[in-house]
Amino acid sequence: MKVDLYNYIKAAQKMNRRQVLKGTAAVGAVAMMPKAAAYADGHGNVRAEILKIPGVGAGSPTDSDWQKVGEMCLGATKENVAEGELAGVELTFMGLNNQNLHNFLFRGFLKPWEAYTGAKINWIDLAQADYNARLQQSIATGTVDFDIIEMGAPFEGDVLGRGMASEMPDWVRDQIDMDDYVDYLKAPVGTWDGKTYRVSIDGDTHTFAYRKDYYESEELAQAWADAGNTTPWAQPTTWEEVNAQSKFLVGKTDPLTGLDAHGYLDPLKGWGGFGFYFLENRAAPYAKHPDDPAWLFDPDTMKPRVNNPAFVQAIQDVMDLIAADAYPADQINADPGTTAFQQFLAGTGGMLNWWGDVGSSARTSDTSVVGDVVGFDINPGSARVWNSASGAWDDTPNVSPNNAYIGWGIYVMATVDGDAKKKKAAWSAAAHLGGKDLSLWASAYPSGFQPYRQSHFNYDEWEEAGYDRAFVEDYLSSNADSYNHPNAAIEPRIPGIFQYYSVAEDELAKGYAGQYGSAQETADAIAAAWEKITDQIGRESQIALYKASLGL
Amino acid sequence: MNTEGDLLHTVTADDIPESRKLTGRAMVWVTASFFLGLVSIQFAHESGWTEAGFENWRPVLLAYLLWATALCAAQVIVNGEKGKRTLFVLPAALFVISLVVFPLLFALYISFTDWNLASLDGAQPNGWDNMRQMWRDAFYWNALKNMAYYVAAVSVEYVIAFGLALLLNAQIRARKFFRVVFLLPLMLSPVAVSWMVGKSMLEVRFGPVSRLVREMGFEPSFFGTPEMARFMIMAMDAWTFIPFMMIMLLAGLQALPREVIEASKVDGASGWQSFKEVIFPLMLPVSVTAIVIRIIFKLKLADIIINVTSGGPGGATDSVTSFIFREYRDRSNVGYGTLLAMVYLVLIIIFITALLKLVSRWMERPA
Repeated sequence: MKVDLYNYIKAAQKMNRRQVLKGTAAVGAVAMMPKAAAYADGHGNVRAEILKIPGVGAGSPTDSDWQKVGEMCLGATKENVAEGELAGVELTFMGLNNQNLHNFLFRGFLKPWEAYTGAKINWIDLAQADYNARLQQSIATGTVDFDIIEMGAPFEGDVLGRGMASEMPDWVRDQIDMDDYVDYLKAPVGTWDGKTYRVSIDGDTHTFAYRKDYYESEELAQAWADAGNTTPWAQPTTWEEVNAQSKFLVGKTDPLTGLDAHGYLDPLKGWGGFGFYFLENRAAPYAKHPDDPAWLFDPDTMKPRVNNPAFVQAIQDVMDLIAADAYPADQINADPGTTAFQQFLAGTGGMLNWWGDVGSSARTSDTSVVGDVVGFDINPGSARVWNSASGAWDDTPNVSPNNAYIGWGIYVMATVDGDAKKKKAAWSAAAHLGGKDLSLWASAYPSGFQPYRQSHFNYDEWEEAGYDRAFVEDYLSSNADSYNHPNAAIEPRIPGIFQYYSVAEDELAKGYAGQYGSAQETADAIAAAWEKITDQIGRESQIALYKASLGL
Repeated sequence: MNTEGDLLHTVTADDIPESRKLTGRAMVWVTASFFLGLVSIQFAHESGWTEAGFENWRPVLLAYLLWATALCAAQVIVNGEKGKRTLFVLPAALFVISLVVFPLLFALYISFTDWNLASLDGAQPNGWDNMRQMWRDAFYWNALKNMAYYVAAVSVEYVIAFGLALLLNAQIRARKFFRVVFLLPLMLSPVAVSWMVGKSMLEVRFGPVSRLVREMGFEPSFFGTPEMARFMIMAMDAWTFIPFMMIMLLAGLQALPREVIEASKVDGASGWQSFKEVIFPLMLPVSVTAIVIRIIFKLKLADIIINVTSGGPGGATDSVTSFIFREYRDRSNVGYGTLLAMVYLVLIIIFITALLKLVSRWMERPA
């Protein structure tokens, strides 16, 4: 679980020490009762027991907790590796050291694994900002000095596309129960040319956060009706409604802060490529046709679709809102981080799309005022969808959540393939970190990771562990629904994908600043820049890799 | 004993046998051949012409170090004490060649390749393509245009810095206190300035400056329009670096000969006349130095822009360095990014050389 989410849930439940003790005592009692053994998978006891470490509301877990959890989750490893079987093997693991999470947890989780198997792990810790550069340089200079890597799926094109990773053995697949993954993390994600490479440890998606108090305001409801709107004043479910409401709110007063009301907050400034995800939120329902897995490029030619009518519509929508003065002042200089944490959480704006941690900060951040009035849903849909095959709009409603970034996974490098013992050690370590039971703990406690398995959304377990069911269900279901949506927009896992995003941000910034004549012109500039990148990286290889990433 | 040549600076006269000299020269030539041989083999291997070769260039680097060591040792072996004198400089010269000249030449090569880190093919020479791309790159020319604005702003900074230096040179109360206070912004990292000022104090909703502006009846927007955003970047950069110019000018003012200024007063010059005819001309050398150094600082301007506006809105605040940063960091476009940097380097060299020439010509006075 992301730290913020953990704090949020604790704060949302407003638990005091007595309640925490009651909760943990109850969980303890429940765990000892025969009912706990009712889980069909036979891991029930372990799952209930690990969720008691250190106990919901009992403070942040420490290294000893991580080691305890690692020890208790060794059962699956023991089925495939004998004690001391991997003695003498040394592995190097490269991962993040963000917020004392990621590698810090992995160290604790893997310590009992090291003691049991006899293998030893050396660590390369990287700050998030250094990660991409370090990885790209390792790849470009052929200096892969690590055996196991924690990596985001968007980089799969760079690594898997070059054949740099080791294919997952079947016993690992069985050990980690891949069928339990949420739908969008199943193949083709984590696979390349039909081979599987990834042990998922995280899931990512953008969900829609909105201010419920806007829709509970009778004043705004009346004004909405007075403005001649026939639809009810309610949470929007399409981008057309989002835009109409955003324009309507110009000049109105925010019911919570008493300052100017604003509708949807689009980040209009770049963010190292990550800002493009936010245009994608708008474009996904227009552009992601249910019958077509591709939506950013044409898979046969790599011709960008970013200048097709769907994306142009999304850009035009933003330009219209700029023209209507619907955004807060200086929005042109607001990056996604500013938009989420300095605006939405601080009471500016009524709607936003973000990853798991915006809602989670709503009640725990000192500057947040929206904790009690925020609601969640999946990405709004659209009334029509662009059909690239026919080259025309289909006038059918469409929904497409944007599963931006796809989440972190553990990958084993091909450098271990020549040594059977080392390979088994590396894959056993990866499988341990991505194990079904261990991942439940990671999704329930601060770890840097979000729930990503169907079994993580078994709210009974959360409730028994001491969480408030109503809250957990409300918040996490928006994630689950996005993950499992049949028409989710999933980004291409091709080399240099963030280069495409980055240059798009630059061109969008020009378009939003009025330096291009129209949305179409802006989109054409992005497409031209994308064509240049494709040619530079190699069109034929990009086509092949894109098709592979789509599972075509 | 040798009785010819430079006897004044010679402590011991060496009588070096021919065989020793031969050994020394052989060391150099053998190691040089070994080094060049490895370079050829590795180059052929990397180019795909031969199978034989190393996994990476490290053996070649070691051969270079071997040659450098042999070259240094050979100086003493061949030339004796004279060689020892050479040894005081030679390692430093080799160090500079290794870490400055070679990277510069390598960068020159890189800048004529299409090296994108995400490309499976690695660096491939692409002739003048990068140059042509630069010629058509509106973002780059826009950044260069912005640099002209930013450099022009140095003139305003100079006037302010000169005024402050004059103030702090005058007999005012708490002069030492103000000198320290005015220096404080210089002690801040531009990154800190960009966060504390650009992203906090000027934050539209909470920033104290924004609140003040709102209290005064205006709607604050510091980065909403291109002109305003560019001005705010200039202002933040100026706030950080005006103290630098100020302290240089203050040092110059304090070093001015008192007699000349007093003589001008005795001759009846007013304060303004004294400044215009005496102080300012005498301060010209210091002023020029301060301005040139400040311009050099300005040409590197990137951190505040990257943090506060990312070059926006629509490239209005982009500097060449912040644009190259995006090409490199976000787009791994090593070949093109290097070319942009090399062209910028050439432009800077031309600009600074011309500036110094102009200044020296201007400051030369007829006898």
